[in-house]
Amino acid sequence: MIYDIRHVTSYSYGSQVSFARCSLRLTPLTDAHQKLISHSIEIKPKPATRTTRTDFFGIPTESIVIETPHKALRIDSRSRVEVDRVPPARDAGSSAWESVREAALDCASLDAHAPVGYVFSSALVPIQPAVTRYAAQSFPSSRGILAATADLMRRIHSEFRYDPKATVISTPLAEVFEKRHGVCQDFAHVMIAGLRGLGLPAAYVSGYLRTYPPAGQERLQGADATHAWVSVWCGNETGWVGFDPTNDLLIGNDHIVLAVGRDFSDVSPVDGVIVGSRRQKLSVAVDVVPVE
Amino acid sequence: MAREGSQAKRVRPRDRKVAQWTRDYARLPGIPDEFIGEDGAPRAVWSRYFDAFANLSPDDIERRFRAADRHLRDAGVTYRAPGDADERAWPLSHVPLLIGDAEWQQIAAGIAQRATLLEAVLQDLYGDGRLIADGAVPAAAIAGSPEFLRAVAGVKPPGGRYLHLYAADIGRGPDGRWWVLGDRTQAPSGAGYALENRLVLSRAFTDLYKSMNVERVAPFFEAFRDSLRASADRDEPRIGVLTPGPFSETYFEHATLARYLGFLLVEGDDLAVSGDRVHIRTVAGLKRLDVLLRRVDSNSLDPLELDASSQLGVPGLIDVLRKNGVVVANMPGAGVIEARSLLGFLPSLSRRLLGQDLAMPHIATWWCGQVSAREEVLSRLDDFVVEGAYGPTVPGFSHSGAVLPAELPPAVRDRLRDAIATRGMDYVAQEQVRLSTTPVWDDGKLAPRPFVLRVFAAATEHGWEIMPGGFCRIAERLDSRAVSMGEGARAADVWVVSDHAVSTASLLPAVDNVRIRRITGLLPSRAADNLFWLGRYLERAEATLRLVRSLSAPQRDPGKGPLHHAIERIQRLLISWGATSLGARAQTASIAADALQSEEQFGSALSLVRAAQRNASSLRERLSPDAWQVITQTAERLAKPADDEEAVIRLAEITLQELASFSGLSQENMNRAVGWRFLRMGRRIERAVNTARFARQFAYDEATAEDLDVLLTLVDCQITYRSRYLVAPLLAPVRDLAVLDPYNPRSVAFQVEEVNEHIASLPSLKEGGLIERPQRLAVALQATLTTAEASALNASWLFALEQDLLSLADAIGSHYFPHGASATRPEKLTGLA
Repeated sequence: MIYDIRHVTSYSYGSQVSFARCSLRLTPLTDAHQKLISHSIEIKPKPATRTTRTDFFGIPTESIVIETPHKALRIDSRSRVEVDRVPPARDAGSSAWESVREAALDCASLDAHAPVGYVFSSALVPIQPAVTRYAAQSFPSSRGILAATADLMRRIHSEFRYDPKATVISTPLAEVFEKRHGVCQDFAHVMIAGLRGLGLPAAYVSGYLRTYPPAGQERLQGADATHAWVSVWCGNETGWVGFDPTNDLLIGNDHIVLAVGRDFSDVSPVDGVIVGSRRQKLSVAVDVVPVE
Repeated sequence: MAREGSQAKRVRPRDRKVAQWTRDYARLPGIPDEFIGEDGAPRAVWSRYFDAFANLSPDDIERRFRAADRHLRDAGVTYRAPGDADERAWPLSHVPLLIGDAEWQQIAAGIAQRATLLEAVLQDLYGDGRLIADGAVPAAAIAGSPEFLRAVAGVKPPGGRYLHLYAADIGRGPDGRWWVLGDRTQAPSGAGYALENRLVLSRAFTDLYKSMNVERVAPFFEAFRDSLRASADRDEPRIGVLTPGPFSETYFEHATLARYLGFLLVEGDDLAVSGDRVHIRTVAGLKRLDVLLRRVDSNSLDPLELDASSQLGVPGLIDVLRKNGVVVANMPGAGVIEARSLLGFLPSLSRRLLGQDLAMPHIATWWCGQVSAREEVLSRLDDFVVEGAYGPTVPGFSHSGAVLPAELPPAVRDRLRDAIATRGMDYVAQEQVRLSTTPVWDDGKLAPRPFVLRVFAAATEHGWEIMPGGFCRIAERLDSRAVSMGEGARAADVWVVSDHAVSTASLLPAVDNVRIRRITGLLPSRAADNLFWLGRYLERAEATLRLVRSLSAPQRDPGKGPLHHAIERIQRLLISWGATSLGARAQTASIAADALQSEEQFGSALSLVRAAQRNASSLRERLSPDAWQVITQTAERLAKPADDEEAVIRLAEITLQELASFSGLSQENMNRAVGWRFLRMGRRIERAVNTARFARQFAYDEATAEDLDVLLTLVDCQITYRSRYLVAPLLAPVRDLAVLDPYNPRSVAFQVEEVNEHIASLPSLKEGGLIERPQRLAVALQATLTTAEASALNASWLFALEQDLLSLADAIGSHYFPHGASATRPEKLTGLA
């Protein structure tokens, strides 16, 4: 499947901004199941400097500095991506979850793909006993990791209410969990917290969903903005598998991966500081169209 | 001959005292003591010390203790307990911890070896990663630490090293050996306090200190400073101490270090990244900073790449590190090596990386991330102390510090057991160790107390330099294991005692490699702001005090003071200044007391002095201890309630004198550099505004002789007026004297003239030679005042003058200070982009 993706981020400010320094993580990932065919980012106003590097998580990160006074910032990112990903079946056989936990700790690598980097609490995902107990209900002794994780995903999908007005980026995990509502980012964080509480490696994925579903299927939640889901390490044989708790789906060809990290703060597509305005308004528009 | 004979027969009182102290000293069973050896006799170094100590009379001892305490208080040596708004005086034990030279050499060698090892481990962890790949260190032992900064993985540390300053907490275990209890590699605190403790104790007991041949600590700081200098890539680098600010618990120490080492004390706001460099905002614009000695934790250093909510850091700092643009000491991420999960692996790492066994042992530690260790710990949990593997708290417990499973309620202990079984990697178990005791002086007796000693090591070109001495914390509770200053402990100086005389080097560098300079350093904008407001608050306090004093005058001298309507005007002025909330109908005496001492009114003399004190506390590295002491004393005295009206007046008088002495001190002792100018400008501007306002209130168009009399008193011109005019106060002459006369040091014109001089001497920020706004306003004002005629003045002219003066003050603020109208604090982009 090949997609054309357009991702436009616009900030408008209450007063003149004299300086901005931003980090952009807008280049879709390339790996065994996904290939970036073309990519460009257009920024207005024009930055004084643009430098690109690959960060710890393997994410192409562009640092920009804008020194032109401005009241609006527009970042227009276009990508063409080919995806070829077949998810395992929910009930496919897999290792007992306890053995996955031991295997994750056993690894001798700190790099971005090593599962050991994803079993600890991180900036936005504290490990909390209540969330761990919630997750534990899907993890009876010796259950296969795939089936158990899929069950946890299903429960979050059915027991949490999708409500874009209920949370903001800084809403703590404990509140999301207690009130059982939020958006894709919140659901992903809750699921990650539960899995890590059990000692299992879980990563945060930012990415896109196709805007209009194939004929005869329902439109998915989160399709008109950036989306987020969870990648779980299911042992040495199975490796990393994507779970979307917002839509109760294993990740296949409808999802396009932008970046993978420990939580939102590692992969935030546009991040930055500005000087000169306290008021700011953000709007994000995403369009994902299959190329015929 | 006869004299010698009689002396020999007498038991000297000195020996009796030492014998008595030794007898009364109740050593704890089974635990080594520093003072008394295994054989029950005092150890040699302590004998020497107490023999000399016993020569002092009890009165003399008490007097010296009080002198030490007073010095600590006067110097403002404080510590802010976590969650505490007020700074507390530093509790200092009056007896130092003594360590013999020979034993110290062993400690120093052990610490130097450990520092070398930790540096090598850091180089590998953030570099090639051989240790992880080869399984010498399990990846999970590192990955769990919040101090493992992925943002700097693979970044070569500018300056070539991760650790510039290293500290280890050590204690003497039951076997008599020194043990490492913990490593401090993030931003070790305590070196500045050690310095201060040394200063205090060596002053209070000068003779004793000299006679004991105590190793000096100054050469250590000298080596540290030189090494930081050498780490920069240019000659004469600019070095800053990065502090979280006055609300940090160890702010005093940051200021002490900055002042002692000659570095700039800076907060994140003071710094900006531009190009590939870090710059400091100064009153002369952005200036490049070469080295940053940080007292801010790694994760708070850069909101762009690390903790996004931090306001303590500098956006873009990590990127500058990538481009080798600034040396940060210690390198962000160095804190990962503090993780207790690593302790168990250090002995084998030492053999692998250094080819040596560890010279100094650390507490036996089981990291529960490994199956065998976890099983052993769970099999006899009650024998251990449980700590967090990566941080100060044990996961699942809200308080920081260790947990003793044996003392937990059964339900809590079961939860801990389950947690260790599920997420063992978050926990370490350690052997319970009771530490040796050292004597403290309580009520004329010596008593043993457990202690922890923090030893400091500075990286230099010639290897690790160890501070001879350190920072000793003494627990008040006899069974205390972990010691933290927050828990009511006291500090002690540490004397490394030599048999021979020690060298007396001080922080004076060799003469031939110092370039002579007249104006030193730069003035950060924030310091300029604080100095300016320090001046303004002190001057405003003075004006309030003068009003209070003239309010109370009639009672002192019935029939001669101002009449009722003049009093009413004074009261109205005090009300409009926020000095009192009492209505104009209230008793004059209570208004005076309120305006002087009210805690609630922001404009009372007390509140204003406190505001000045807050500014001064952010300027600790720039003010002389004497100046700080004057402000502190003034605030303390003003806070004590005065009994009656007489006392209120007396208090106002004394306070006025004290404020004058502060002016005198800054005038006589402060270097005539840019900072001094901002302090003076603050005072001058405020005085000009107040005098203009007084003139408007008391020299209004229909003012009576009594009103004018009040004005002359307020602006301290009674004598001048009388010597010039020989008549009762008249409107035009009084206005001339108070507003226009450039020879009267209290006139508005005099203040403006001085402000003009200061502005003209300040560095210009803009290119192109255009006159800048503060100067434009000041020059215009001076011209107005120079050319005005007293007979032409009226109330509206005076009002306009006041407004112009306020605009000038604002213009100075927004031109030179970071928090003015042109605020430059960066804001985070928010929202789910």
